[in-house]
Amino acid sequence: MLKKTSWLVATAVAISFGGIAQADWKPTKPVEFVVTSSPGGGTDNFARMVQSIIAKHKLMEQSVVVTNKGGGSGAEGFIYTKVAAGDSHKLTFGTNNAYLLPYVAKLAYKPDELTPVAAMALDEFLLWVKADAPYQDAKSYIEAVKAKPDTFKMGGSQSKDTDQTLTSLIQDATGAKFIYVPFQGGGAAGVQLAGGHIDSNTNNPNENAGQWKAGAIKPLCVFSPTRLQEGPKVTATMGWSDIPTCKEAGVPVDQFQMPRTVWLPGGVSPETVAFYADVLKKVSETPEWKEYIERTSQTNRFLAGEELKSFIASDDSKNRKVFEQEGWVVR
Amino acid sequence: MISRYTAEIGTATLTAGLGLTAVVGALEFGIGWGDAGPEPGAFPFYIGLLVVAASMGTLIQVTLGRYGLQSIFLHREEAKRVASFFVPMLAFVVLARLLGLYVATALYLTFVMSVQGKYRLVTSIASGIAAAVIFYFVLEVAFQVPLLKGPLEAALGLY
Amino acid sequence: MENFASLLHGFGVALTTYHVALMMIGVLLGILVGVLPGLGAPNGVSLLLPLTFTMDPVAAIILLTSMYWGALFGGSTTSILFNIPGEPSSVATTFDGYPMARQGHATQALTLAFLSAGFGALVGVILITVLSTWVAKFALRFSSPEYFAVYFLAFASFIGLGAASSFKTIVSMGLGFAFAAVGMDTVSGGLRLTYGFNELLSGISFLIAVIGLFGIGELMLTMEEGLRFNGISARVKVSDVLKTIKTLPRYWVTLLRSSAIGCWMGITPGGPTAASFMSYGLAKRLSRRKDNFGLGEPEGVVAPETADHAAGSSAILPMLALGVPGSATAAVMMGGLMIWGLNPGPMLFIERPDFVWGLIASMYLGNIVAVLMVLATIPLFASILRIPFAIIGPVIVVVCFIGAYTVAGRPFDLWLALAFGVVGYLFKKLDYPIAPLVLAMVLGDKAEDAFRQSMIMSRGSLSIFWSNGLVTTLMIIGLVLALGPVLTTAFGRLIRPKASSAVA
Repeated sequence: MLKKTSWLVATAVAISFGGIAQADWKPTKPVEFVVTSSPGGGTDNFARMVQSIIAKHKLMEQSVVVTNKGGGSGAEGFIYTKVAAGDSHKLTFGTNNAYLLPYVAKLAYKPDELTPVAAMALDEFLLWVKADAPYQDAKSYIEAVKAKPDTFKMGGSQSKDTDQTLTSLIQDATGAKFIYVPFQGGGAAGVQLAGGHIDSNTNNPNENAGQWKAGAIKPLCVFSPTRLQEGPKVTATMGWSDIPTCKEAGVPVDQFQMPRTVWLPGGVSPETVAFYADVLKKVSETPEWKEYIERTSQTNRFLAGEELKSFIASDDSKNRKVFEQEGWVVR
Repeated sequence: MISRYTAEIGTATLTAGLGLTAVVGALEFGIGWGDAGPEPGAFPFYIGLLVVAASMGTLIQVTLGRYGLQSIFLHREEAKRVASFFVPMLAFVVLARLLGLYVATALYLTFVMSVQGKYRLVTSIASGIAAAVIFYFVLEVAFQVPLLKGPLEAALGLY
Repeated sequence: MENFASLLHGFGVALTTYHVALMMIGVLLGILVGVLPGLGAPNGVSLLLPLTFTMDPVAAIILLTSMYWGALFGGSTTSILFNIPGEPSSVATTFDGYPMARQGHATQALTLAFLSAGFGALVGVILITVLSTWVAKFALRFSSPEYFAVYFLAFASFIGLGAASSFKTIVSMGLGFAFAAVGMDTVSGGLRLTYGFNELLSGISFLIAVIGLFGIGELMLTMEEGLRFNGISARVKVSDVLKTIKTLPRYWVTLLRSSAIGCWMGITPGGPTAASFMSYGLAKRLSRRKDNFGLGEPEGVVAPETADHAAGSSAILPMLALGVPGSATAAVMMGGLMIWGLNPGPMLFIERPDFVWGLIASMYLGNIVAVLMVLATIPLFASILRIPFAIIGPVIVVVCFIGAYTVAGRPFDLWLALAFGVVGYLFKKLDYPIAPLVLAMVLGDKAEDAFRQSMIMSRGSLSIFWSNGLVTTLMIIGLVLALGPVLTTAFGRLIRPKASSAVA
């Protein structure tokens, strides 16, 4: 009898304590930021930016430790997160690769084993050619490619990743046919274009800004439904907002963007997710964040909760269609 | 006692096995020469074949020259010394997986110093713990590099 | 000329008490992370990065680059004293540095290493100063075929070096290539040779292999021989350092040749590791004391160290001018530049000359500060060897495994390091050369990627490797270096048919 009572009491205490803890969940030890790219990559800059803002504005009481787990195009980090199921002190930073990687490689995690927390920005893609190329707009470039199929080289970062997916979408929409050359990263693809070794690339603004400013390459159009935010002129005559959208320019691929996403392991409480979503929301409202977004010419878009879920679902199905058509999906 | 001949045969068989593993693993990815140059498996496939072939070469060379290779590869005395170093190191790795690197470091250093170095037990224990604590402060606190941790750190609330 | 004016201005920016103090702190921290294998420069730099967010960019980059120099020096120290290269690029230093230390010449080896490293770095910086504009343009001419040709050149200058059985050399190099192929394949975007193991997903880290093959393997050999470190009783005298400094001019040919190789590999994409191997290979081929290489030849320390640092410092230029990082450390620094609000790339020189020239000036000063500081630490490090082996042996074991873990924070790597240790022990006892394995592991996947990218560009035609003057020249030099020894032997046989049998 006594035993039973004490058990009851213990349960009651546990429940009430649990309830209190849940209502106001807070990290109780240092939080690990798992970065699914190697040091210096786009995801790494994103995570370290968030880290520096949290530290500066003291948005969390506990400290932050950043670890890079970029092996296997980031798969290492996501598997690490999956294995840590139930651990509320691991926040994983990635892109849409979190849910797209398992299509193209046999990996030991499924996207639904991770808990989405937030998407904080959309990175844009542009079509770039060499500055002295004879094309004034995207349409005339695509016409030239169509006239000589399989001779123009499109460079990009990695294989079966965003750049190649976009190349495939362009080919579908226009009937042009490129030779896609995968490089180790967007930076390398940018230099290869400046050196004239490839004919075009689809780099993010940040990856090519320096070369554009220096007059080595030029943008033809941006794969976004609206033009980029207005800002200072990059060259003597043009700024980011002067670049036409691809749809305006006659290339019917109206939207291709890459979300910068944040994840928790599976099996964490909704309060935990809410806590981090709130911290990240505060991060996205700081002037430092706005400055980062502007400098890297990304689109500021904070998504969490249901909004995030439906965004992921639609992005997933859009990409999946390309993957299936190209035969990239592994069984 | 192991003769040089046995050691050569054993190592060449091991490398041939590794080469074969690469060959088998590569077959999955296509080993031909497509439109876009070699397929993903081609390079590992031929490298694997090369390793197998060269290991075979060593095997043949060793077999032909076996009489020159009867020299001793490892004396009993030497084997004991290597084992006395290797076994604690193996135990260190096992302990590190179970108890974390810090505890394993302290235990390993204590053991080796007192049993093999013939230092006094107190000195050995003190040195082992001191080393673990120094590593903790240099790595965890100063450089913020997390090491593998075990139940002790969890109990102390260090992680 | 205008570069010199900018540089003088740069010295004005860099030469303040605050900046010099930062250099000293950076170098010290660098030495600390450098001597812990696995921690290394990239880790150190990424750890310091958050601290620098609040500093001004010039001060921040001075701190980080000084740390980088310190880490390079620290890596050489462990190569020489314990046969554990702290950085991939100091592997070649172990070949002769460690034998020297075992013979009781640790002080001499360390002094030579530091001085030649400093010399190489200065040559690299001078090159940047004089040729910055030209180098940036030249680097743009490199595409995948040229990359492949450079890697080929590095291999060609190094193979055929050892006296070991050619079967064993092939096995060793082949295994290196195979290990390098494990993990994500850039060109196809798929995983290879992982056999379904998550642990193999990110490939086999080169550092783990080096820690095992060199560090643990060597300890097992030392234990088997029942030896304590030779020269354990050798007194460490400060005068030894000074005496060795006087011998440096003797190696002027090696210094100049190795600097040239280093600078060349630094501005082309070969990088410091390829530079140090290539420089060692050529030094051995061209030396009059060929046979002493690998047994403790001072020239075998001077050559790789000079080239390593010449490449390390000249590689900063492509990073600044093109925005493409040449190494992991450079990648972290580039991330830092962006966080401080600077965009690496061609415009950096025009928009922020104070930053660029302040950095270049700090490279001069930082290297001088670093050389002076590491020379001062030699007696300290050399006397580590006098600690009884019963203590230092297990401590090295612990450092090796902690280092293996910190490379990527994977428990599996502990087992991998142990396995590589056993392989290293067997290979050394049975005269398998380890250097080809290491070189193949570092450059193997890069060379393969470059080759396959070239094939995609040319639609499968090998003619791309002689499609322009640059790549053709590189390939011809590579072929000459690769076939050189074979041709010399064949030629020798033609004119001296009888003597050849004895040589072979």
